[in-house]
Amino acid sequence: MNKCIWNTPGTLAEKFWRDGRGDFPIYDMHGHMGAHYAICFKRCEAPEMVAHVKRIGVKRLVFSHHEALWGNIRNAQVCDICRQFPDTLRMYAGIIPQRQDRIKEDISMFDRWAPYALGLKLLPGYHSTNAMDPRYEYALAFANERKLPVLIHTWGNDTAILDVVQKYPDAKFFLGHSCYGAWDLAFRCVRESNNNTFLELTAIPGDRGIIEKLVSGVGSEKILFGTDMPWFDEYQAVGGVLAARISDDDKLNILSRNPERILGKDF
Amino acid sequence: MEDLMFFDANCRVGDHIETYPGIPELLKDMDLYGVDKALVRHNNIPKSPLGSNAQIARMLRDEDPDQRLTGVWCILPDSCGEIPAPDEFFRQMKANRIGAITLSPFEHRYQPRRIVIGRIMDAAAERRVPVLLDAFANQWSLLYDFIERFPDNTFIYTELAGKWGSDRNIRPLLETYGNFYFEIARYWVPEGIRDLVEKYGSERILYGSAFPSGNQGCGMLQLKHSGLDDDAIANVAGKNLERLLKGAQL
Repeated sequence: MNKCIWNTPGTLAEKFWRDGRGDFPIYDMHGHMGAHYAICFKRCEAPEMVAHVKRIGVKRLVFSHHEALWGNIRNAQVCDICRQFPDTLRMYAGIIPQRQDRIKEDISMFDRWAPYALGLKLLPGYHSTNAMDPRYEYALAFANERKLPVLIHTWGNDTAILDVVQKYPDAKFFLGHSCYGAWDLAFRCVRESNNNTFLELTAIPGDRGIIEKLVSGVGSEKILFGTDMPWFDEYQAVGGVLAARISDDDKLNILSRNPERILGKDF
Repeated sequence: MEDLMFFDANCRVGDHIETYPGIPELLKDMDLYGVDKALVRHNNIPKSPLGSNAQIARMLRDEDPDQRLTGVWCILPDSCGEIPAPDEFFRQMKANRIGAITLSPFEHRYQPRRIVIGRIMDAAAERRVPVLLDAFANQWSLLYDFIERFPDNTFIYTELAGKWGSDRNIRPLLETYGNFYFEIARYWVPEGIRDLVEKYGSERILYGSAFPSGNQGCGMLQLKHSGLDDDAIANVAGKNLERLLKGAQL
């Protein structure tokens, strides 16, 4: 191998290539757990997932369980899984807009799930709606009041996302997949909100030039790392960040510093 | 690992109605990430199969002086006389540094059956010329039918866009056809490369990037830390594709 990013001394890329990990914690802010109907997962339960993310130095994996998002298990059960891996797992409580009874019950229990439950997960497209659906109001008002993170699955040009990040100015919105493909909408959500919106990278690090575009558009301080684990390999995703034509400082912001700035070092 | 050679099996270059990166940009990325060689096809194959065959040959001749790239040509039904007879077609491929073929039957509006392309496909099988299956990406039923019709050919399955692990569709093909090879540009399943290698052997899996839509670097780190031993990594990184292309009797 000739001189390239992987053997340039003193770089993050060289460190990960040689050692398989850096000397800083990585925060994976977009995970899932459990089987999924559309794909074969070999490593989708907590022990295998934790083993996988620890290889590369992930300190926290924040996830929403597939089965909680499809209504087969409750968020309280997901918290029990987190308790088995307290050093690694944190959760977003899955919000199903069709199940108002469960939303109210889960919100009433939210404090009991500390420190594992960090915020909420909305999956509007898969739940056949959009983020401005009134059935989300109870949960989003709670997140707004508590200044909690809300990870929303975003893909393409759904302008309801812009409306929702403006309607709840104190909640912290993480736009999962960064409105994939509708990059200008993603930029608007960051620029035209109350400094409460961050772009999340799941499914993007394999794409040539997109991380560079996002950093140029909103700055690396507004970008979070995620993998959809157990969907995507940590080395593939971190590799995409390391391979982007951005500075090592930007890469550190994305992989490590930004979640600490938003949530503190010990979340 | 300093000796690790990466040979990218999934690259496209050249413009179609929009401007796309060409060979200079590809070589620049290869230098940035440490990719030694690449198998390249023209972006405009779907709309201009014969024109893009000529174009990729010219680009290789004029823009790749160190000969790090190997080209791919598109075939058409031989009964219409649009491409030469197989012997002449392969002679021209060799003369132009073309090492593999592809086909785009849906865009080019023909049936990928034996009575349509049997002569060129059988000649490719006899000469062990790799056939890229990029046009069949995510069209699993059509792909299965096609491979059943041509079980003796050497196939490389590549993807450009899909991001969901396709084990349920890929594994039966790897199990059934010894000459079916899987390129991993869009295979991001956690530790999935190691799983595939352990089940089907390191000789069946090929590194690729999907350049220019894909980033060459991410798959390199994924493979490097896949948990495989150095020999298996070297096979996937580049030795397998090199062996396949050298084994083709053009």
